[in-house]
Amino acid sequence: MADKRPLDDGELDSLFAAAQARAPVPPDDLIARILAEAQAQAEPVGAPEPRATGLWRAILGSIGGWPAATGLASATVAGLAIGLGAPDALDTLSGGYLASVDSVYELEDLLPSYADILGEG
Amino acid sequence: MPLDALSDISDDALLVAFGNGDMSVARALTTRLTPRILGYATPMLGDRAEAEDVAQEAMLRLWRIAPDWRQGEAQVSTWLYRVAANLCTDRLRKKRGVGLDTIAEPEDDRPSADEGLQQAARVAALDGALGKLPERQRQAVILRHIEGLANPEIAQVMDMSIEAVESLTARGKRALAAALAGRREELGFSDG
Repeated sequence: MADKRPLDDGELDSLFAAAQARAPVPPDDLIARILAEAQAQAEPVGAPEPRATGLWRAILGSIGGWPAATGLASATVAGLAIGLGAPDALDTLSGGYLASVDSVYELEDLLPSYADILGEG
Repeated sequence: MPLDALSDISDDALLVAFGNGDMSVARALTTRLTPRILGYATPMLGDRAEAEDVAQEAMLRLWRIAPDWRQGEAQVSTWLYRVAANLCTDRLRKKRGVGLDTIAEPEDDRPSADEGLQQAARVAALDGALGKLPERQRQAVILRHIEGLANPEIAQVMDMSIEAVESLTARGKRALAAALAGRREELGFSDG
């Protein structure tokens, strides 16, 4: 007569161990399908975004693209600000000397006169 | 990158690398994770072909989530088991109209050369008995005793408390033990 007692823990564990040992190996075609989907997922969707063409593209390309262009613009603005702001600061530092240069000297004061040149010649 | 070089890298890090466009890690992730999904889905569904469909779909969802994956936030395997569990549940619900009995007996894999007949008989008997358990019990027993997950991870996969997981697995084991009573001899337990 068959033993009708429920299996004990040890017996159940033996069954689980057998199931673990089965360790399903994925068939090659399944691996291939999964990898194909991975490849499709990794590729960009749709057409690439339109790029700038012609002169602007050439200029941007020659200076290194948009990051360089923004850097250049920043430097230009900074240079302009320094140029506009500097005379006051410089005047202060030089004690007003530079600002009064125009009123003290004319252009010919800074050049040797014809008389001097002829005299020497 | 060669597969061997990736063996020490976590699933998490590999998935982030894939999300950043590194295709070389896709094979490592696939060979590492697909057997785990199959290990869960095959006894869950009792159908190897369906389990393979689930594995393919779960992996596709993994590829899609990869660019948004944040390293350290979740375990890839837990996430994947959860996806696989949902996919299995969907398939089981669709089958319910056909009748559970038709899926209760799994396809019996022929024993391979290195797998003894006794082992094959045990796996077949276990699969058959698992197929007759209520779905949640089956899920918990497979994750705990075949896939070897810890109870806290099963709780995350099944979205329930750890206590509920413990209760489910205990009931599941009792039901299996009772269902397989009377088959000791066939399973090689006649000495007990």
